[in-house]
Amino acid sequence: MNKTIGLNAKQYFSDNTYDEMFTPEMNVKQDWKAISDHIDVMGSKELAAGQKDIDWMLSENGVTYNVYNDPKGLNRPWNLNIIPFVVEQKEWSRIGEGLKQRAHLLDLVLKDIYGKRELIKNGIIPYEVVYGHRGFLRQCNQIEYKTDKLLSIYAADLSRGPDGRMWVVNDRTQAPSGMGYALENRSTAGRVLSNVYRDINVRKLSGFFHDFNQLLIKASPKQIETPNIIILTPGPHNETYFEHAYLASFLGYPLVRGNDLVVRNGFLWMKSLKGLKRIDVVLRRVDDAFMDPLELREDSHLGVAGLLDVVRKQNVTIINPIGSGVIENSGLIPFMPAIAKYFLGEELLLPQIATWWCGQEKEMEYVLSNLHKYVVKRIDRSNRESIFFGEFMNSDEKKVLQQRIRREPYLYVAQEKINFSTVPNFTNGQLEPRNMVCRAFAIAKDNAYEVMPGGLVRVAPERGNIRVSNQRGGTSKDFCIISDQPEPEVTKLSWDQNSKYALSGLNDLPSHTAENLYWAGRYVGRSLVICRFLRMTLKQLVKAKQDEHILENEKLQILLKGLTQITSTFPGFVGTEEEEAVTDVRKELEAVIFDKNKIGSLANTMMMFNHSYYAIRNLWSSDMWRVFEIIQKSWKTMDKKKVSGLSYNEIIKFLDQTITRLIAFMGLVEESILVNQGLLLYFIGLNLEQGILTISKCRALMTVQAEEPVAYEILEALLNSHESLNIYRYSYRSYITTENVLRLIVLDPYYGRSITYVISRIQKDVKKLPLSTTSDELTMYEKYIFEAFSKLRLTSAEELTEVDEDNVVFRKNLAVLLKDLSNLLFQTSQAISNTYFNHTQKQKQLTSQSFPL
Amino acid sequence: MIFSISHTTRYYYNAPVSFCHNIGTIRPRVSQGQELLSFDLKISPNPTDISERSDFFGNTITRFSLSEEHKELHVTSTSIIKREYTEVKESFLSDACKKITLSEALFALKTTNAQIIEAKQFVLESVLIRNTTDTIKQYAEVSFRPNRSVFDAAYELMQRIYTDFDFVSGFTTVSTPLSEVMKERKGVCQDFAQIAIACIRAIGLPARYISGYIETLPPPGKKKLIGADASHAWFAIFIPGFGWVDFDPTNNQIPENQHVVVGWGRDYYDVPPLKGVVFGSGTSKLKVAVDIRPAAEAAALNISL
Repeated sequence: MNKTIGLNAKQYFSDNTYDEMFTPEMNVKQDWKAISDHIDVMGSKELAAGQKDIDWMLSENGVTYNVYNDPKGLNRPWNLNIIPFVVEQKEWSRIGEGLKQRAHLLDLVLKDIYGKRELIKNGIIPYEVVYGHRGFLRQCNQIEYKTDKLLSIYAADLSRGPDGRMWVVNDRTQAPSGMGYALENRSTAGRVLSNVYRDINVRKLSGFFHDFNQLLIKASPKQIETPNIIILTPGPHNETYFEHAYLASFLGYPLVRGNDLVVRNGFLWMKSLKGLKRIDVVLRRVDDAFMDPLELREDSHLGVAGLLDVVRKQNVTIINPIGSGVIENSGLIPFMPAIAKYFLGEELLLPQIATWWCGQEKEMEYVLSNLHKYVVKRIDRSNRESIFFGEFMNSDEKKVLQQRIRREPYLYVAQEKINFSTVPNFTNGQLEPRNMVCRAFAIAKDNAYEVMPGGLVRVAPERGNIRVSNQRGGTSKDFCIISDQPEPEVTKLSWDQNSKYALSGLNDLPSHTAENLYWAGRYVGRSLVICRFLRMTLKQLVKAKQDEHILENEKLQILLKGLTQITSTFPGFVGTEEEEAVTDVRKELEAVIFDKNKIGSLANTMMMFNHSYYAIRNLWSSDMWRVFEIIQKSWKTMDKKKVSGLSYNEIIKFLDQTITRLIAFMGLVEESILVNQGLLLYFIGLNLEQGILTISKCRALMTVQAEEPVAYEILEALLNSHESLNIYRYSYRSYITTENVLRLIVLDPYYGRSITYVISRIQKDVKKLPLSTTSDELTMYEKYIFEAFSKLRLTSAEELTEVDEDNVVFRKNLAVLLKDLSNLLFQTSQAISNTYFNHTQKQKQLTSQSFPL
Repeated sequence: MIFSISHTTRYYYNAPVSFCHNIGTIRPRVSQGQELLSFDLKISPNPTDISERSDFFGNTITRFSLSEEHKELHVTSTSIIKREYTEVKESFLSDACKKITLSEALFALKTTNAQIIEAKQFVLESVLIRNTTDTIKQYAEVSFRPNRSVFDAAYELMQRIYTDFDFVSGFTTVSTPLSEVMKERKGVCQDFAQIAIACIRAIGLPARYISGYIETLPPPGKKKLIGADASHAWFAIFIPGFGWVDFDPTNNQIPENQHVVVGWGRDYYDVPPLKGVVFGSGTSKLKVAVDIRPAAEAAALNISL
């Protein structure tokens, strides 16, 4: 009887399930005694506090799992329950032996399928199980590999059978997910439960991940000390993108997408800032069919054209190799015992889920007449559209399925319903049984396999639910292998620093990462400037007289027009040739601030800022995450209804908050990312944006004619929105004059917010870019920025303040200068993009055809 | 019969292409009744690297890359082929081939000797021929009956497709689903071949897709135009105990010397002509020209497409 949680068998057991922790009489099983004692001692209050800590840490680290088509949007938070799942070392060793045997067998099957195909020739497996499986890529036939094992990473979904043994439910072999989440779960739970873990001797994961890193290094086709290793991700929209980024930063390898890579001269290259860098090993999270749009799925944008041929030439190693999806094959299950006999002369060590392959006539007839009892699956699909639960189908649905099976019987298997075991979950202050499934991992090591001492445990979202899946929003558990002996102290495993991807700096920065950092800088800069301008404008609005019509107030009119110009949200308050200026001030302001679909609006800019930051999340520190999340959350709550109820003062308060958080964020960026990691690109983007917007502000507010006192008030507003009023007073101690404002905001070479200063900063920074001038001629972007700088240095405040006698253009000198500067900065940006980010060079099919493989 | 075949593919781009990777089934395959006497491939601009390999089905796949900036890509293959198919065709009419009935064929397929296993992969669904509907099965069953000769049934199927379907170019593309071709009864040679293959597979027999060329003859008294020929496609059915027998439903005949094989697979997807991935921003236009004529005549004309 578990004391603290105070449950009895009646409450805990709702039906005859096998529970991991409790016997049906509610006695704690031997292997769980140690952890149970700790649960008792902690009590529900302490457990709840610990759970809170875990939730907080996960959200702070931004651990997410994306769910496709989820109304709640991307990046659903990852859940981890405080009660771990424990397995005793001795039992795990037995299971581990079974996993090693299965990995070994599947490796042999994989080699055979793309090699001699003896299994088919000798009648061990029917040909349809291979030839009929969509994952059998004929393009990969007879490819030879240098690695001893083809299957470098193997994952198995395990579930406890009614006999108390762990059964294999699924094999995962293409690009198994979960190792990163397992690691993250351990790092989180391990912090909250550190004392408990020490006491119950939880096996550490570090040795396994050290070996995993060695596996990647040794996989290099050329035996060199520092092979170039990358992690290939489908991108931020992939469900497990968090994990890709997490592993990339944990292992220290660049995280890249297909468009960052090219095949040239028989090798694979990464586009980096300096140029092309040869890649030796790819740890991929892109599925087989998408890896090479030249030979495989032609509509894929996730892979690299020509990659398969580089593999054939043995010039790169892909882990796991392209084509390994064919052994994610439930049609193989019934034949696994025969395969084990054939290859090894052994019995299967791990039991597997009972499976009937419909390609055999007797089996098919049996399945067709007993559909209600079974779960029917396609042999080559594990998505939920291809899984049919017989017991939940009506007779029409059954009929359709029966027809499909009869038409292509070899494509289907029927499997026994899984009797998930349950495991206690801490929910609402008590323990509740939840169905669970766990994923275990094995990796190739020398000539054998090594099993992770742990894994990923997922449990159903609610009690009694039998479908366990992250896509359906379940929770997870830390998977602990425990023993009564402390783990022998191994000499501290040093991460072999030489072997890490040589961080030789900016030159090797993937151009895609560089581009994201550059735009991150631009968007954060834009957000901040717009926020400040909006805040100033709203303050002026609040000050305006109640009875006066806003659009008749000259000052307000200039400021509102300025807002439209700075944000480029035309027609806005300015109007265009086709459209008149708006008259509903409140409505337009709401749109410019909160409408994220309005291009140029603050909300839209914030959204773009989120995208560019999210795409490079492997560079972030956890502090950055926290601030980022806070900004995100505060914006998410601003829906249309809420916005319309806000007073101007409340909006000002909201902008204040956003400004403070943006500044905190910017400070963190500067201290969390190294210049060589790409911070330089961020600075260039940030300064360019600030320069461009300051110019735009000066154009809007200083090249329009206004009478006193309005002219004076506009200058004051400009200084205000630029956070420069105090500095002005300190520097000039005088009444605000146009000439002095120009000196401070435009021409001052030492003041950090002046255009001249910002441009000189850009000039210094772009010099450090890898392709900048070393000889006598400047690159295009250097020329533009140099010209901008010269123009500023060759003019004077007097010259710029001049008003022409004819006065066709007010302050013509200033207007011309600002326009020139604006163009030059725009050209600088274009030239940097063209040189480093290669926008136009995306791979395209010659003929557009797309066949689903 | 010795033929000279020249096949030119041209891509025109509206914006320069800096780099491209291409593959294609270009070199005609040596097969029963067909020898390849010479083969020449010209690519302009010059490829940076080029290689050939044998694919899963034994066809030759050519791959090449260009790294010179270009706005046009020309690929011309010239093959001299010796085609002696009359004997092969006559063997189809032997008892050894014609006597095998559908039920005997289906029974024989249950055995597992190497040749049967090799052939059986052509029973399964393939990239472009999948989710075959009952309409197709019913269409096939009109000709295929248990006690009837498989050869006779296939011959009749070919005739029926020839009669029931209209040759309309431009109505279908490579990705038009078979069900639509079946419904509209319109298409080109590759559609007819794939309809036949779907029918045969629905019955449970192996069928494969053959891609190649056919020599067209000018109307009597007229001179043959240069470059007026075309790529062609037909199908073959596997008759257990005999072997593969091919049929051309577009021309309602068993292929002979005028048919030249380039390669075969489960459907069009396995033997694509030239395709590629380019790095550039523009769009492209494609032109293809094929010329087949007796080698001696071709030499005299000094054809260049």
